[in-house]
Amino acid sequence: MSLIDVLRYRLRVLLRPRAHERELEEEIRFHLSLEAMQREHRARGALSRADAAWAARRRFGNVTTTKEEARQMAGLGFFDTAEQDVRFALRSFRRAPGFTAVAVLTLAVGIGANTAIFSAVNAMLLRPLPFREPERLMKVNLTVPPRGDEPGWDGAPWSYPKFDAFRRAQTVFEDLSLWTDFQATVRVGSDAERVFNEYVDSRYLPTLGIRTALGRNFAPEEDKAPGGPRVAILSDAFWQRRFNADPAVIGRTVDVDGNPFTIVGVLPPGFRGLSGRAELLVPVLSEQAEPWSHAYELVARLKPGVSPAGAKAAVQQLGSVVDRAYPNPNIQNAHWGAIGRELDRTRVDPIVRRSLLVLLGAVGLVLLIACANVANLFLVRASARQREIAVRLAVGAGRRRLVRQLLTESVVLSLLGGVASVAVAWWGVKILAALNPAQSLRMQQIGGLGAVSFESIRLDTVAFAFAAALTFVTGLVFGLVPALQATHPSLTGALKSDGDRSPLSRIRGLTSRNVLAVVEIALAVVLLAGSGLMLRSLGNLLGVKQGFDPNGLLTARFNLNDVGRDSLPGFYDQLLERLAAIPGVTSASLADCPPLGGGCSRTILVHRDRPAAVPGTEPVVGVHWVTPNWFSTMRVPLMQGRSFTRADRLGAQKVVVISESAARSYWPGQDPIGRPVSVGQGGFYDDTAYVVGVVGDVRFGTIDSLPKPEVYLSFYQSPRGRMMMFARSSVDPQSIAPAMRRELEALAPGVPLYDVQPMRTRVAAAMSYARFSATLLAVFAVVALLLAALGTYGVISYGVSQRTKEIGIRVALGATQGSVLRLVVAQGVGLATVGGILGLAGALATTGVLRSLLYGVAPSDPTTLVAIAVLLGISVVVASWVPARRAAGVHPSEALRG
Amino acid sequence: MAKSSGPSKSELLKGTLDMLILQTLTVRPLHGYAIAQQIELLSDAILTVEHGSLYPALERLQKRGWVTSKWGDSPTGRRARYYTITAAGRRQLGAEISDFDRVLLAINRVMRRA
Repeated sequence: MSLIDVLRYRLRVLLRPRAHERELEEEIRFHLSLEAMQREHRARGALSRADAAWAARRRFGNVTTTKEEARQMAGLGFFDTAEQDVRFALRSFRRAPGFTAVAVLTLAVGIGANTAIFSAVNAMLLRPLPFREPERLMKVNLTVPPRGDEPGWDGAPWSYPKFDAFRRAQTVFEDLSLWTDFQATVRVGSDAERVFNEYVDSRYLPTLGIRTALGRNFAPEEDKAPGGPRVAILSDAFWQRRFNADPAVIGRTVDVDGNPFTIVGVLPPGFRGLSGRAELLVPVLSEQAEPWSHAYELVARLKPGVSPAGAKAAVQQLGSVVDRAYPNPNIQNAHWGAIGRELDRTRVDPIVRRSLLVLLGAVGLVLLIACANVANLFLVRASARQREIAVRLAVGAGRRRLVRQLLTESVVLSLLGGVASVAVAWWGVKILAALNPAQSLRMQQIGGLGAVSFESIRLDTVAFAFAAALTFVTGLVFGLVPALQATHPSLTGALKSDGDRSPLSRIRGLTSRNVLAVVEIALAVVLLAGSGLMLRSLGNLLGVKQGFDPNGLLTARFNLNDVGRDSLPGFYDQLLERLAAIPGVTSASLADCPPLGGGCSRTILVHRDRPAAVPGTEPVVGVHWVTPNWFSTMRVPLMQGRSFTRADRLGAQKVVVISESAARSYWPGQDPIGRPVSVGQGGFYDDTAYVVGVVGDVRFGTIDSLPKPEVYLSFYQSPRGRMMMFARSSVDPQSIAPAMRRELEALAPGVPLYDVQPMRTRVAAAMSYARFSATLLAVFAVVALLLAALGTYGVISYGVSQRTKEIGIRVALGATQGSVLRLVVAQGVGLATVGGILGLAGALATTGVLRSLLYGVAPSDPTTLVAIAVLLGISVVVASWVPARRAAGVHPSEALRG
Repeated sequence: MAKSSGPSKSELLKGTLDMLILQTLTVRPLHGYAIAQQIELLSDAILTVEHGSLYPALERLQKRGWVTSKWGDSPTGRRARYYTITAAGRRQLGAEISDFDRVLLAINRVMRRA
């Protein structure tokens, strides 16, 4: 019963607040008139009507307060007063446009940058993978024990027979599938293009929970029979681009590397395989697979009721089963195994994850600084409004009510900032997508799912929700300190004249302003230290000796699939001759793999003049195919012996050229020339080849990994159809691309030239990730420094305006301009010193998280820290110079009069 | 709420005022002014409160479900809001009176001994 009463009452208050208010007013009027009437009556004419009404009011007490209290008691207050407060806030902002603009801009940058970085974090790290129940998906890899001087590896891919053994033995997965991506020349009609595709089995799409948008998935027998009909599924993008989204595409054919494939399905939009870039899905031909041909990734879906931990334990057991089924003949005392990981955990490379989190942390610090700055502005403004606030407190405004009103101001301000931040965030996301380091990450074969990439960064509802929450919290954070401070009940002081407030409140005000400035400086120092380290690291990368001259070089890949081994040398001759004849080209050559690209072949090296090594302990070297003039085209110096000549051809004595590192590693202090070796690839394993030359080291791996031992073979002695052109020209390298294409077309019609890039672009790409993080961190640090300088400026110039009188007296007593300058600048230097020390301590404590991102610089690098201290000192002196000049210009009379 | 007086004192007053209001309503429904009059009358004008403080208290009592209100005609013919005590209000009053009695008893004992 009473519950219903309560409900009815509350609903009324909530739904009809105006009516409730009117009734309260009516009730009070009624009360007052009755009281007045009665008093008039009791006084029998001795009291005028007006006097009676006045007495009734006195008896009643403060009507406004009563209403206010009743309103609050009813719970009505909130929205009602909120609206009032918002109006009030907007009015007061209109009166102070400069303050408002600075504050809104600061917040817009702070919140917008956070939203942009958050979008990246969301897309790369947080957003659920776009598959059915993605948390039930696992990635399973083989583990390889350490071997010779090669470290172990727990991310090895699968071979089909091993996968088959695993699948047969397992009981924890409801579905499992293997896939790998590959490049192929795809022809529709007469148009050929080089695209990425995936080999998958028929369980691939069901495991991920993806249905074809058109047509069907592969049938189980289609991923087995080698001689049977070949089928393919198109990506939505390829279907749109090459078939104009024609629904009648099912049953038509595409030509993949010269073989016709029948189209059986089209993928839904947005899904381009786990590689994130597949145009075609083609069945893996399982029966052609060899146990030691490791090329496939394994993705599996947990059975209902199986926990990831349980599955991981089972996978470990299954690893031994696979190892027993296919024991490695070369390894006696160590075993291959298997390891399972949640697919979500493998979505991005640890380096990418770390960089993004560092950036998120950095941009968070920027926002904190922005908050401190705006809080400072508010404090300055609040002290200007101290009289207003004191008057309001004195006439009976509740402190809580005032705090709420001031908080409303800050929240409204941050809302304005939040709205403006959308523009900043939009722009930021554009920049992130433009900086897109994904391409180079792929080139460097850094781990992670291609399906999760920078291309998927966008401002979505989650990002907007994040921005909204951030906006609100920001408003509270920077509003709370000034609000509490401003309403601190020390009325009497504030009610007296402005300049003459109680010393206590002045010290308190200055202190919290100082604290804010110190915090800003300290945070800015942390950011500066982080970005300084990243810039140093980038500088180190730029200074890395790559071992070749990338300027003026154009590179491009192509594959000859249908030219026989014996006719390839003739093809090389003709092609090189044509390339060299292109106007502007000074030197042209071929190789199989670009420097700084990662992913070149590696194999074992066997010394023929030494006792056979224990199998599995042979040294591992990088192996490269080149034409004889490649070293001179690349300007790789010949250190010893000779380079290849045209005489080193099929049938002639096999020879190899080695890198300096190889010479140093395998023939330390000896002459490597003439040593007999075998190389595990290119037909050089069963034969003995002799070392004829030593060339300078070239970095083939990532730019930050040291050169490794490399062995070069001549294309003429080991012909291959997969190759890359390297042409050095005296003109802009891009300008010779059409000519290169033309020459290839003339010799090998229909063979597409792809991945055409100046070598300088490849070098830049190899550093793009470091550049990406360093650039963003530097931008954040500069913004932070500017904000901190602005904050310092604000505090000091406020201090000067408060101390005008004191300074005037000093000047009157004979202080020189110089001493006044020193006095004020010293205050700034004091702030900077405290903030700087705290910041450096903070930097030393936090820059450790950068360790894995840095190259050739320690997180506690003294040079960087000293440089930052100097930068900080200069900024603060500049920031306090302007108010100091003003202080020095104070005339005694001016101060004494005021 | 907005008064700068300490919370304990105002809490005590609030509690007492609530009790007095509930007590006056036990006989029959009254409008705000009548409640104020009754309180003055019953306490021989010793317990005087600002009439204004009655209204926030009435809102509070309604929110808790101890009192309901309805508009009706007053003897003067003007519309007035009449407050009625609910069953929950009576229970609450009973509990508060016994609390209050205990406190009074204790105070009396102390005062006599002194």
